[in-house]
Amino acid sequence: MSPRRIIAAAIVSVSALGLLIQVSTHAQTRPATQVPDITGSWERYGFVPGGRGGAQRDPTIPPPATQPVLKAEYLKEWQAKTQAAREAAAKGQPIATDNAHCIPEGMPGMMGAQFPIEILQSRGQVTIIEEAFTQVRRILMDRPQQSVDDIEPGFYGHSVGRWEGDTLVVDTIGIKENVRFQNAPHSNQVRIRERIHLVSPTILWDEITIEDPVTLEKPWQVTYAYRKMPDYTLLEYICEDNREYADEKGLQKIRVNPGK
Amino acid sequence: MPFPRAVTAVAIAGAVLLSLTTSAMAHHSFAVYDHTRTLTLRGTVTKFQWTNPHAFLELDVKQADGSVKHYSVELTSINMMQRVGWRSNMIKAGDQVTAVIAPILTGEPVGLGLEVTFPDGTKKELPVPAAASFKRTTDTQ
Repeated sequence: MSPRRIIAAAIVSVSALGLLIQVSTHAQTRPATQVPDITGSWERYGFVPGGRGGAQRDPTIPPPATQPVLKAEYLKEWQAKTQAAREAAAKGQPIATDNAHCIPEGMPGMMGAQFPIEILQSRGQVTIIEEAFTQVRRILMDRPQQSVDDIEPGFYGHSVGRWEGDTLVVDTIGIKENVRFQNAPHSNQVRIRERIHLVSPTILWDEITIEDPVTLEKPWQVTYAYRKMPDYTLLEYICEDNREYADEKGLQKIRVNPGK
Repeated sequence: MPFPRAVTAVAIAGAVLLSLTTSAMAHHSFAVYDHTRTLTLRGTVTKFQWTNPHAFLELDVKQADGSVKHYSVELTSINMMQRVGWRSNMIKAGDQVTAVIAPILTGEPVGLGLEVTFPDGTKKELPVPAAASFKRTTDTQ
């Protein structure tokens, strides 16, 4: 090889190396897929009894929630309880719910966001706060899920998540058995899968699938939609003086004039 | 003038149905309150309790015979109230206010507050879920 060719080859190699370094540095600072920014306050959106349909053709409004398809041995009890609650309310004597005792919904009920929610994205964790009852759930990112036997059951369970493109995919297990979603029973085998993603710059969906090989015949799907609240800061919520109580029949009553 | 029984039954059924379809977005049931009539109370505030899960307005209401009857008026969550502009300093003990309430079905001196008129004459509604399901009437106390 002539000296001129050696110099030319050296220049090409150095340039290629420089380009490679530049490309790899660029790849480190900018991941191939940008994780969407969903940090901020959100309010429940598109709540239409029965979901979209008829005049409601807005594609940002989620499809109607399905009812749990419970196995026969659980279905009867659930139907009886649902019917009893409906009849008691119609008589003006509602059955006291967990909420009446200031017990929070837990998962997945808190994602129903009766009050606004706040999502916080930080390193290794996505945190979701629901204003009512100051509920907090932590989604641990890019970690394997544990065995249900290693988790102490709780209201929010153990959640792990990862970004699949623009979708936050979350897996939750370890929900306490007395934490009921729409009064439906579940076992310690219950698993909640979520796909959280933007459907427009200001509308977020949480597509929830509940699986339970013990109580459910098939997965139960519920989708909640939220609208961005750009100027809203979550308020505090403390159950400071609850005058509601359950009487001996379990009906919701109110303490009258406890301290005028 | 008494309403025909069928009309009343339909009205009650409608109110109950409406409250059931919208109750999915309420933490605490308001089914204990009468959806068919309201009561307008004029009284003196003994306490404006700014707490969750619900706020309360405690009122002494002078009766026709000169005696005083005490009412507890349940309001909504203070979070919902704040979102529509209510503040804890809007009412204080000693204020003369008027409250439109849906009375409790048990007959106790308790009601769900739907609207309050402040001493300066301004009115403010409470953000009661499905507020339209409570039929307004003109009974006063």
